[in-house]
Amino acid sequence: MNISKKVAAMAGAACLSAITSSATASEPIIIGVPTGLSGANSTVAPAVVQSSELAVAEINDSGGILGRQVVLEIADDGSGASGAQRAFDDLISNRNADAIITMETSAARNAGIPIVERHQVPYIYTSLYEGRSCSPYLYANGAVPEQMVGPIVDYFMDEEGSERFFLVGSDYAFGRGMLEFTRSYIEERGGEVVAEEYQPMDATDWTSIISQMRRNNPDAVIMSTAGGAPNVTLQRQYKAAGMQALVGNLSVDELTAQSMGEDAEGIYISASYLTAIDSAANRDFLERIETHFGSDLRTPNDLSVPQYDAIYLYKAAVEMAGTTDADAVIEALAEVSYDGPRGTVQMNAQRHAPLTMHLGRVQGDGSVEVVEIFEGVDPGEQCPTS
Amino acid sequence: MTRFIGGVEADHGYLVLPLHVRFRAVCILTALALIVVLIGPFVLDPYTQSVLVRAFLLAVTALTVDLLWGTTGILTFAQGAFFGIGAYAAGLMFTHVGYTAGTVLFALLAAITVSMLVAAFVGWLAFWQGATSLYVAVVTLVLPIVVVQLIYSGGSFTGSSSGLVGFDAPSLSMSGWFWFTGTLMVLLTACAWVFIRSDYGRMLNAIRDNETRNRYLGIPTSHIKITLMMAMAALASMAGFIYACVGTIVAPEHAGFVFGTELVIYVALGGRGTVLGPVIGTIGLEWASAYISSILPFVWTIIIGTIFVVVIVIMPEGLLPPIWRTLSKKLPSRLAKAAKGKGAITFYPLAESDIKTFPANMSQPALDLSSVTKRYGHLKVLQGIDIAVMPGELVGIVGPNGAGKTTLMRCISDGLERSSGVIKVNGKDIGQKSPAAITTLGLGRSFQNTSLFESLSVSECLRLARYRHWQPSKTDTADRIGLPTAAMEVLESTGLTSQLDGKVNNLPHGMKRALELTMVLSLEPNVLLLDEPTAGLTKADRLMIGNILTDLQTRLGLAIVLIEHDFDFVKQVCSRLVVLHRGELVLDGEVQEVVNSDLVQEIYSGHVE
Amino acid sequence: MNYLFLDIITTAAILFIISSGLLIIFGVMKVINFAHGVFLTIGGYSSLVVTRFDWDPWFSMPLAFVVGCLLGAFIERAILRFLYHRPLDAILATWGLGIVLGQLIIIAFGREVQFADRPVSGAVELLGAFYSQYRLLLIIFAVLVAAAMWLLLKGTRIGLQTRAVIMNEPLARGLGINSSRVRLITFSFGAGLACLAGAFITPLSSVDPNMGLPWLVSAFMLVLVSGNSFLALAIACLVLGGAQVLASTYINPIIGGLTIAVLAALLLRLRPKGFAYD
Repeated sequence: MNISKKVAAMAGAACLSAITSSATASEPIIIGVPTGLSGANSTVAPAVVQSSELAVAEINDSGGILGRQVVLEIADDGSGASGAQRAFDDLISNRNADAIITMETSAARNAGIPIVERHQVPYIYTSLYEGRSCSPYLYANGAVPEQMVGPIVDYFMDEEGSERFFLVGSDYAFGRGMLEFTRSYIEERGGEVVAEEYQPMDATDWTSIISQMRRNNPDAVIMSTAGGAPNVTLQRQYKAAGMQALVGNLSVDELTAQSMGEDAEGIYISASYLTAIDSAANRDFLERIETHFGSDLRTPNDLSVPQYDAIYLYKAAVEMAGTTDADAVIEALAEVSYDGPRGTVQMNAQRHAPLTMHLGRVQGDGSVEVVEIFEGVDPGEQCPTS
Repeated sequence: MTRFIGGVEADHGYLVLPLHVRFRAVCILTALALIVVLIGPFVLDPYTQSVLVRAFLLAVTALTVDLLWGTTGILTFAQGAFFGIGAYAAGLMFTHVGYTAGTVLFALLAAITVSMLVAAFVGWLAFWQGATSLYVAVVTLVLPIVVVQLIYSGGSFTGSSSGLVGFDAPSLSMSGWFWFTGTLMVLLTACAWVFIRSDYGRMLNAIRDNETRNRYLGIPTSHIKITLMMAMAALASMAGFIYACVGTIVAPEHAGFVFGTELVIYVALGGRGTVLGPVIGTIGLEWASAYISSILPFVWTIIIGTIFVVVIVIMPEGLLPPIWRTLSKKLPSRLAKAAKGKGAITFYPLAESDIKTFPANMSQPALDLSSVTKRYGHLKVLQGIDIAVMPGELVGIVGPNGAGKTTLMRCISDGLERSSGVIKVNGKDIGQKSPAAITTLGLGRSFQNTSLFESLSVSECLRLARYRHWQPSKTDTADRIGLPTAAMEVLESTGLTSQLDGKVNNLPHGMKRALELTMVLSLEPNVLLLDEPTAGLTKADRLMIGNILTDLQTRLGLAIVLIEHDFDFVKQVCSRLVVLHRGELVLDGEVQEVVNSDLVQEIYSGHVE
Repeated sequence: MNYLFLDIITTAAILFIISSGLLIIFGVMKVINFAHGVFLTIGGYSSLVVTRFDWDPWFSMPLAFVVGCLLGAFIERAILRFLYHRPLDAILATWGLGIVLGQLIIIAFGREVQFADRPVSGAVELLGAFYSQYRLLLIIFAVLVAAAMWLLLKGTRIGLQTRAVIMNEPLARGLGINSSRVRLITFSFGAGLACLAGAFITPLSSVDPNMGLPWLVSAFMLVLVSGNSFLALAIACLVLGGAQVLASTYINPIIGGLTIAVLAALLLRLRPKGFAYD
């Protein structure tokens, strides 16, 4: 008798603690952000962290989610797979994250997927990427090739009369993914791809490719290199060689384009977010983030603003589900939408989001002028079976 | 050659223990480690477990680096690439074919086969005779770069920079993986520990210390290094294979050269050549970096980098060996005594019937040179040398400095040295053969500057000289070693027997010469090339060596060629003299005849043009 | 065709410039300097500093050289001096040093890609082709570097001593040459040359903490196939650099990127002396 009573008491205690851990108002909701504080992504990671901090601060000021405060846990993923395995393990098993929301490299994302699946944690990936990453626990709200390529190619063919395209990229998943889609898109539209060339990912000498461009004499060049040095060296060497063809760049962000100065003049870029977006929501967002961070502010960009959106999307999903329970949140994430600096975002297209895309043209002073706006561009077939 | 500083002193006690005691000691330690692994999951949180699972697999890979670099002196950055080959074998197979028991087995076999083939190719590239260790290091640096580039270019087949994810693989719970990888790591470490302390391990140490000398002891060093590299590649790829199964992710960084250099850093910090050092070092650093690097990513790298440089410069033996030495001093004296004492190695004379010396064919020259020429560019160092030495002849080669005497010895003992001409040892053409292969034809050579193994003891050097005749054990050290009578005689008459446990570099010069002669005689050659065997010796020593040589010549019928400056010694022992001058053979005849000839007088007084 | 010719010549010039500092160190000290990549990077950041202070872009070259010499001298005295009898450990120590210096650069200047002002820019017409002016200028720089090396080695006392140490160190020491001093000067000079090379290539690219790394393996290989001869290095740069350009143009740039490393490794296997001669 005595023993069974004890067992019953223990079981009751266990039940109670299970309930408290999932639902009590006093327990904070933990959002894990594994990101590249060191390594290749360390240039953009600080802006991503600031976006997250702003969103969490705003949410907590307005009463949290379901009355619970939100806590941000940041971990370095070293911009690679090994670091990401460690960071995901740390955030999920050690720091008990309820969800992972982050912008990181494709290798880091892939390393994290088995871990969120094993522990059943919702994961919102906020970087633009090469597309087709699918998992029951993964949502993505950044742009994919289907959304980025169309605006540039359409504009070049329709407005500038370009027919012959030269594609050049770095040999990595994003570079190849983007250009493979670009090639099929151009050919579908009746254009011609005169060459598709890749360089090793860390290469910064583009001599032979530029010579080949000269021989082919294309109307337009579409670039999709690794971010950072390969990107800017290609653009500089292209200019230094006196090339005149139109340039569309799928991998340069607004900030890098600005820092390149006159070498970047005339580049076309395609983004779901540009600081120059002329909307009340964006102006309001910029004002708030400037007030919040003052002189420490890292300029918001196409990689950091989706992070801000994603935290609000998660908030909406938890509120719709009424719980942080993974399955319910996963289901709700496809339903909810958020009106933010990028317009309305809803991840209802095979776990990806139709987006408003902006075609920008870099000016001589480094600013980006919005040339054309494409509303509701569909991500296409990303995860058809889900 | 790298000067080596290692846990040799600490091991010495272990080595002299009888085999069954040693075996029991290793078993007990292994069992203790296994118990620690067993209780791990009950006391560790899941995060630490998953960090340690990865650390165990990296420790296995670091172990392979230690065997290659710490033990054998091959600085390699390629083990990361082999790890990656294993990981990608799993990733590619499970992604594109699927996961069944059959594919697991096939993928594992493929991983091991491919990495061994690649290792054989890298070995062929890197371990040719005369390749510098720098060249080897750079070649092993190129391999991961090529492998990573192939992965990147593989597009969706290899997943390019993103790697492969979302495949089904053998799955266990985290505790299950902890037990599995932990057990594997402990067992492999125990095997490696026994291996590097075996005779075979000592031979690898000797290759590290002085590879050239090994070749002239008839040990095929290139072959051994390639074999070792293949075995280590197989182990590393197995670790990579398991790594891919644990995380169900493979990425190019798992094959990259940064990973390869990290392994070298772990091994250097832990203590190269000690097996336990690198394993403990890897686990410790991986664990520490899991906690520190996510908080202080940049500072962590600087700390590790700085410690690495400091360790390399001022304490190349690594961080752990000094700690052990301090600890072992605090061991109860009873244990320490047990580890000392006991029987050292004994050497005994081989019966004449056991001696495998080439049967001397008295009717054909043991050494036959015809038109041997050596050129450096336009400069002819040797021109058309013809000498035939019959069994039982003791030929002295004399001539002033720069006459080409030592070059001639090099040409005889290394098939790649001469520019043209034919050399036959016991009737067999040496062609382009390596020194090791020529040694097996029955040739033994000593060097002008004694060339020995600084980190080995006298008895270990002698052991090494016998490996031409018996395969060194990979698990054990022999405690009774037979030497040819001639070698035993030198050993005894020079008093080396009392120095058997001493380090070679502590020996006085005369002893070193005697040891070298003993080693050459232990090869049981029937053609002996001696380059100034008495230089720097006392008169008594010289007399003794002269007597031994005469004995070898008359009693055993050896053909002996020696270079000598000391005319008295030459007159005492030689049966024939050959005079070299400016690369040409100017005289060949009876000792008295040559010594008294006007030509020789003039050559030595410098009047000959 | 003209472009191909110009590409080959300018690529060889760049390779020669980035390898010469490594070659002089390897020739004298028989040590491969794994920190070479970081030295190139430091040269790039010297240009950046010049830009930040708004100095004349040409000033970045002497600045890089001086910074490199000072750093090289410090490293030789503090670290390498102890490692001459352990060449493999010297590799590791310089590699570790490279890691530390790389991190220090990140902390000091940040990880982003930055830009230095260029002394010249744009394209000029040559042989009926428009070609990057700065790349053409690099041919002249390469010739200047080669000429300076030749003059120093043949025309100065320390050059004579250096050649003596390269040929036969024990003998040189026996003749009273202070080989420790020769080593200090050589490493310092080699490091200066490496930083100078970094400043030379900066106008072609951008400045970032990893900018030296892609050149590292090519430089190692070129030096290994050249032994200790500058003429051999020049030939190796033309032949292997030419092979790289041809492979990049006619096969693809990815194969091109591996050309130097793979060809050099095979060449050394088949002809251990590489491009060196007796």
